[in-house]
Amino acid sequence: MQRATRDLCCARGSGLLLAAVAKGGMSLAVLLLGGVVQALAAPPTAEAAAAAERPALAEAVAGESGAAAASVAPGAVANSAAPQGPVAADASAPAQADAAQADAAQAYGRHQFDEAERNHWAFLPVVRPPLPEVQRTEWVQSPVDAFVLADLERHGLQPAPPADARTLLRRVYLDLIGLPPTPTEVEAFLENSSREALSLVVEELLSRPEYGERWARHWLDVVRYAESNGYERDGAKPNAWRYRDYVIQAFQQDKPYDRFVIEQLAGDELADTNAETQIATTFLRLGVWDDEPADPEVDRFDQLDDVLGVTASTFLAQTIRCARCHDHKFESFTQQDYYRLLAVFAPLKRPQDGRTDLDRFVGTPAELAAYQQQADELAARTAAARTALDQQEWSICRRLAEAGLLTATPGDDGLPDEALAALTAEPGQRSEAQRELAAKYRGRAKAIIEQHASAEERAALDRLQRELEDLRALRPPEPPRAYVWYEEGTPPATHLLARGDPKQPLAEVQPGLPAILVDRPPPPPEPTARTSGRRLALARWLVQPDHPLTARVMVNRIWQHHFGDGLVGSENDFGVMGELPTHPQLLDWLASEFVACGWSIKHMHRLMVLSSTYQMASCASEEVLQADPNNNRLTRFEARRLEAEAVRDCILYASGSLNRARGGPSVFPKISPAVLAGQSRPGNGWTVSDPHQAARRSIYVFVKRTLLVPELEVLDFPDTNNACEQRLVSTVATQALTYLNGEFVQKQASAFAARLMQELPGGPERDAARIERAFQLTLCRPPTAAELEAVLDFLQRQRAFFGGANSAPPPSTGNARASAVSADAADAATAAALRGLCLVLFNTNEFVYLH
Amino acid sequence: MPEQRESTITGTRRLTPCGRTRREFIWDAGGGFVGTALAWLLGHDGFFGNAVHAAPLNPLAPKQPHFAPRARSCIFLFMYGGPSQVDLFDPKPELARRTGEPMPNLDADPLFKVRNPGNLMGAKHAFLRCGQSGLEISDLYPMLGRCADDMAIIRSCYADSFAHGSGLLQMNTGFIRQGHPSLGSWVSYGLGTENQDLPAFVVFLDPRGGPIGGAPNWGAGFMPAAYQGTQFRTTGDPLIDLSPPGGLSRAQQREQLDLLARLDDLSPAVISRQDELAARLATYELAFRMQVHAPEAVDLSQETAETQALYGLDNPTTEPFGTRLLMARRLIERGVRFVQVYSGGGHNDENWDAHGNVNANHELHCAETDRPIYALLTDLKRRGLLDETLVVWGGEFGRTPTSQGTQGGRDHNPRGFSMWMAGGGIRGGQAYGATDEFGYAARENKVHVHDLHATILHLMGLNHELLTYFHGGRDMRLTDVAGRVVHELIA
Repeated sequence: MQRATRDLCCARGSGLLLAAVAKGGMSLAVLLLGGVVQALAAPPTAEAAAAAERPALAEAVAGESGAAAASVAPGAVANSAAPQGPVAADASAPAQADAAQADAAQAYGRHQFDEAERNHWAFLPVVRPPLPEVQRTEWVQSPVDAFVLADLERHGLQPAPPADARTLLRRVYLDLIGLPPTPTEVEAFLENSSREALSLVVEELLSRPEYGERWARHWLDVVRYAESNGYERDGAKPNAWRYRDYVIQAFQQDKPYDRFVIEQLAGDELADTNAETQIATTFLRLGVWDDEPADPEVDRFDQLDDVLGVTASTFLAQTIRCARCHDHKFESFTQQDYYRLLAVFAPLKRPQDGRTDLDRFVGTPAELAAYQQQADELAARTAAARTALDQQEWSICRRLAEAGLLTATPGDDGLPDEALAALTAEPGQRSEAQRELAAKYRGRAKAIIEQHASAEERAALDRLQRELEDLRALRPPEPPRAYVWYEEGTPPATHLLARGDPKQPLAEVQPGLPAILVDRPPPPPEPTARTSGRRLALARWLVQPDHPLTARVMVNRIWQHHFGDGLVGSENDFGVMGELPTHPQLLDWLASEFVACGWSIKHMHRLMVLSSTYQMASCASEEVLQADPNNNRLTRFEARRLEAEAVRDCILYASGSLNRARGGPSVFPKISPAVLAGQSRPGNGWTVSDPHQAARRSIYVFVKRTLLVPELEVLDFPDTNNACEQRLVSTVATQALTYLNGEFVQKQASAFAARLMQELPGGPERDAARIERAFQLTLCRPPTAAELEAVLDFLQRQRAFFGGANSAPPPSTGNARASAVSADAADAATAAALRGLCLVLFNTNEFVYLH
Repeated sequence: MPEQRESTITGTRRLTPCGRTRREFIWDAGGGFVGTALAWLLGHDGFFGNAVHAAPLNPLAPKQPHFAPRARSCIFLFMYGGPSQVDLFDPKPELARRTGEPMPNLDADPLFKVRNPGNLMGAKHAFLRCGQSGLEISDLYPMLGRCADDMAIIRSCYADSFAHGSGLLQMNTGFIRQGHPSLGSWVSYGLGTENQDLPAFVVFLDPRGGPIGGAPNWGAGFMPAAYQGTQFRTTGDPLIDLSPPGGLSRAQQREQLDLLARLDDLSPAVISRQDELAARLATYELAFRMQVHAPEAVDLSQETAETQALYGLDNPTTEPFGTRLLMARRLIERGVRFVQVYSGGGHNDENWDAHGNVNANHELHCAETDRPIYALLTDLKRRGLLDETLVVWGGEFGRTPTSQGTQGGRDHNPRGFSMWMAGGGIRGGQAYGATDEFGYAARENKVHVHDLHATILHLMGLNHELLTYFHGGRDMRLTDVAGRVVHELIA
């Protein structure tokens, strides 16, 4: 009922107005103002406003980057000024009916759209550009550099100088594995920091398991990874962690990205399907799930909307969900496109038992069949043994009853008449009620059997009992379980829904692809033995080498995590409303290289990390800041705050507590009772792990949708309800409180201080050494003289605080025991002072920034 | 109008067409409730001497509303579990008369029918005509009845879900789907706050537990965390991790912060983002100051004995809720924009979820809340604050006119229920809208949750259609694509 006016949802507010003011100049702003006001005053004319916005983009780009502007087709402005074509059509019922007819004729493709829409940069084929000519050829270490430098030279800008070896090594480590280099590794690199040495370091880091753990986390952001369903019960998604391990392994083994895409979308539909590829499809089922939906029919479409939406944002970087209720107001997606894509996922079924979410066995068809056969056989044998045992018990009961030894007795612990009748009726002949009675009173009957059965009878019973037990031990090992959807039977018909309302179905649609991205309707999917083949068809289309989006979108994500921002700053939105690439040619070169090298992510890492662009210092002169304030031209390596997980992992590393165990079910670090009090059942769904388990890398921390670990949450752990393409960086006082006073950081500071005391025992004379060690383990460098002085002074005064109360000499004259006590007290004061230092180091800008 | 729109909210957020900026974002997301102070600190220290970087924008700096507001702040009294309208604010003689009969026309509402409702059951408690307006209020709420002339009861509320989880989400965020910002977040986003030493949006939970669904009920959803509700507690430190553990003195922590500032200053690391780094450092100073400000804000010993008694702090039944309401009053006095106070926590009879025995349940929860709410309205009024403070009372849904179980319980009912508002521009002494003859479904002048939200935003000076945040390819609103301001409620 709330959807009645869905088609008004995109009347846009003030944002674009500002964009226009910022980029398009005043007259354009005035023009737009009119459009926006009109849209707001009379929402159905929002299209007009949308159309009016397009020239703003074109002009804005022209003002910023000639290269980017070139990708906007000439004539785009003129074309889009007049609303035409299906995108601009009003989403009223007659128009939908017309569109439905058009669909029935299967006549769809990019020809439906006007020239400007067809020529949107992201929909044009990737063309591999030649490496541009540059003047400073010695700066070019990687093809990446040629594009970046050519652009800088065109803008009359200079790249920043290279970062020093120590900074570079820390950067590469944190970026690739999310942990800092050890002091030994730093020393070795300082001795030889040549290009070859760096190349070896990068190669070695890429081969480490920690690399997979680091980069898998980036992917988990995009796919809204969480291990619980949200809502009232926020139930756990059983075995969802196997998907996390799958992603870690995929990065670790450099699984070709095309295969990675196919497995996640359709790993169960492959000819060579197996446990791993089926686990990959957990991707489709990671969304929120209301186990008590307000309206089950609407909820079903909400679930599919989540699957469709995350698929479109992850692989296509398109915001297609807007077309659920009407043609997209800004992008070239019709409501037809939405439901065609929905039909791809419509056959998916959720394994559930009422409100309980279930997992499923995974494996090759042969493995699963073999297990099933074994299990069936065993079940049959067990049933037979069970029957034999029942039969034997019955025959004894009957004999005892005939002998008057088994009789009905009154009372609470007696045997009622009907129970006796049930026990003495032949098992095969018992009524339903009798079966229940026989089961209920079996124990009582057995007590009497024990008392009166003959030795022969007893031996027979024992033999049958043993047989049953033996069978139980024969249970075949279960295949792994995974949190996946499944398909079964004939796919349901999918209809276009008027305004997204399931109660208003319109024409039936067939599974298909967004029209703007195809020349003609794709052939119908080929069903496999077990599935509809729809997702596989979609996945295969996505990974066609000439697909304009798949490779661009992924190389942009890889770039983003090395450099902080994608070349396209809106990493999940390559649409008209998204940003334009700052370096379109570089983006296309990388996309083409990605496909050409066999979709190797590690190859892309090497191209990016072993570039002068990546190795620049994180500094900028005032002039450069004026010319390139947002670093769009890549004049420097832009420093950025580490993600919450990396900060936590680096703290655990420094304190010596980090547990490097890999994979398996997630862990539950302790959460303070004050935080748990926010739950309706405090502590529910959070069984605290022991401290050693809790000290595992943050990627192994259970992601519960309604309860996040505070030290991760305050540093902008992503919202898991939706795809997160880029972490926010908020700076709030609660971060300071959590990282100064919170239990986690306090404990780690204590452990770090204890580690320093243990490694460097003794009195204040070891302070300088301890400080140096503390700096090495946190900042990967020794302190400067000024820093050393400041910290020594701090320790001195803190020690006075902590020793203050006990600083008077012990009353007895200097016997050994008293001096030991005194030494202990001094050590305790030193440790307490050091704890303060450790806490401070964890909070320094240098520690929490990648620079 | 255009000027107003430009001055709202996002203005500076969207420097790029995609709707998101990166470099400037620190100032949008940053600072939390301390942003203005940050800007001041940084400006003071000369960090913004050059105009290269985008002007620092504190997301919670006070912002111009769309039009003149009637309420400066809002206190939302959330009766978690779903209070029963027919027992409190919606008298139904016909229901009493037909007690014991089956509910007619069940087939018309399949989602209700599947819940197997029992027979009709009238209210046990009497309704009293209160105040000059003669507004009818149950004798379960005798003290509150004295405030009738300030209250506008909406008897025709309705929502979309029979379940607590999605019902709570909808009343708090407008959507039954998880992931949207809460009302308090939208208000903070739209208006900022007037005291930068305190959060803009504070939540007091019931000591018996949080509501079902937990933190997403006061979360910022897809907005930056700066806009999410901050939990305040009534015992110990008001904020989690406010004080250093283990008896570390303020002087010692001062030294730690001095060392932090010194090390940040001395660091040889070359990092171009000086503004971000300075912002981080400033948050530590503000956290340090909050250790003083936050406890002061909720220090009830500064209140007179008369005021404490007014809120029922001398009575164990009323003391917990009274404490929360008195703290809420102190917070809005200090410029906090939005305070949500939960009555009821945990499960079933720990809150208003009266499946077992509606009389026993509501007698308990009304006794706990009656005096404190009366005190709040009275206290606000005598301090001249009621005019600028909107007080909202309600749960995630109401309850059925039919019985449940053998002890006279009532089931969930989103089809029709009562809420009330007072102060902040509300025309009191009126009942608006009506349910059917049994009090089951809203019939006249229906008010959906979106309409409630639109009205609350309106009273605070915000146009719910213009208060937007770009996310997932579209401008999102608290009221989705619906919402009607109920002007009849407004004086």
